[in-house]
Amino acid sequence: MMDYLFAPDRWEWLFSGNSFRFLLDGLIVNIELALIAMALSLTIGLLLALARIAKNPVIKGPAGIWIDVWRNLPLIFILLYLALSLPASWKQAYQDAAPTWLPEAFQNGRILAAVVGLTLYNSAVIAEIMRAGIQSLERGQGEAAAALGLPYWKSMRLIILPQGLRRMVPATVSQLITLNKDTTLISILSIQEVMRHGRILGSCLPFTCGVEVPLLQVFLVVGTMFAILNYGLSRLSKRLEIKQRQTTGIEVEKVTGLEDQVALDTDTK
Amino acid sequence: MGEFWEVFQRHLPEFRSGFYITCRLVAMSFVIAMGVGTIIAAFRVAPARALQRIGTVYVEFFRNIPLLVLIFIFFFGFPEVFNIGPWVAGTLALGLYTSAYIAETLRSGVFAVGKGQIDASLSLGFTYRQTLQKVVLPQSFRTVIPPLGNLIIAMIKNSAILGASALAIPDLLKTGRITAALTANAHASFFWAALGYLILTVTATFIVRHLEKRLAIRR
Repeated sequence: MMDYLFAPDRWEWLFSGNSFRFLLDGLIVNIELALIAMALSLTIGLLLALARIAKNPVIKGPAGIWIDVWRNLPLIFILLYLALSLPASWKQAYQDAAPTWLPEAFQNGRILAAVVGLTLYNSAVIAEIMRAGIQSLERGQGEAAAALGLPYWKSMRLIILPQGLRRMVPATVSQLITLNKDTTLISILSIQEVMRHGRILGSCLPFTCGVEVPLLQVFLVVGTMFAILNYGLSRLSKRLEIKQRQTTGIEVEKVTGLEDQVALDTDTK
Repeated sequence: MGEFWEVFQRHLPEFRSGFYITCRLVAMSFVIAMGVGTIIAAFRVAPARALQRIGTVYVEFFRNIPLLVLIFIFFFGFPEVFNIGPWVAGTLALGLYTSAYIAETLRSGVFAVGKGQIDASLSLGFTYRQTLQKVVLPQSFRTVIPPLGNLIIAMIKNSAILGASALAIPDLLKTGRITAALTANAHASFFWAALGYLILTVTATFIVRHLEKRLAIRR
């Protein structure tokens, strides 16, 4: 068993040719996708959160249902559904419109389902995180703003959001860990990223590559790459959470049903 | 709407079996996760430094790598040593992935009871065993249940990855995909599969919320 894991000839591939570089190129696609999806999710998530805490029930109700449906479905389910049901004409339109300076994986129409799916799921999660942050503010803040004569939107913009959103920074960083891991799911939509690159490497035969490339070792390397990246993020979110609690003295409620939010919660206790 | 209903009526047996398989995947993985998670939590609070270190490395590794990578490692990684089937590979991957979170939850549950309380009950003349039984464990239990429920919700969603990956376990998602191909009606078949997942996750969310309120310890 030990031999199977650590025998030097099973690791030789890592240092020969461009293998490691090839995996790293794949990982960069994942990171880029995570950042794009995060940027979109933050924007849309904020709008959804505002809709959910609105006073008007016609806005509040549908926003609540929308958020609860998308965040309670498995992400891979959403991705596969979109891959199947997005009209081919949209994908074509995207492919035609995509500028050539984009990385190769992002020029393919298939990426559209990936970006939309990741954003649908994560914007719902982020909306819940933001809502928790905003609602953790004492009601007195909003009432004081109203008493000073500030209209709703002005008090939102100047008083509530700056304080509420600061409280959700640690939870958002935690969600970025989940998002990073989730980007590997797009390999199921056959988009060229790190998992696909791993499979390609692993299918390499000794007489073409010169060395044996065992899948076990390939995916151990891929896993370690993610572990290092996400470990850094989890340390960061833990530190931010502790700092946030020290300054405000308040523990923001964590969103249910997400493993990395549970981790953030237990890490800092 | 008529088409939706027709798909449901014609493929109800498949959806039902997919639903059960998803439940079974979650249940089996949860058993693995609880077992391994408890051991790792014990490592994390053990007096020996070396054990603590092993526990920390385990937790940080398994919770920071994608579940799909774990599935690939178990399913494709050991063809010559032990050839494991999709069910073993899948539940092992999901179980070990979640065990890292469970270990952390259990560990924080033990520490949730202040040392002052333990000292107090010992000085009141309780034996160590009584202290554990009457003071520590009831409180740990209450702090641990809501996050465990949260992890089960996450597991329900993550179990779909097992059905979608190369494992090809016919769970709810896989059933939805097969039905979509058979009926050429992706919207209807994914709609019913979505309903299955929502039944599971939304019910679980309600239970967790309820327990969170009931079990909250006012300090």
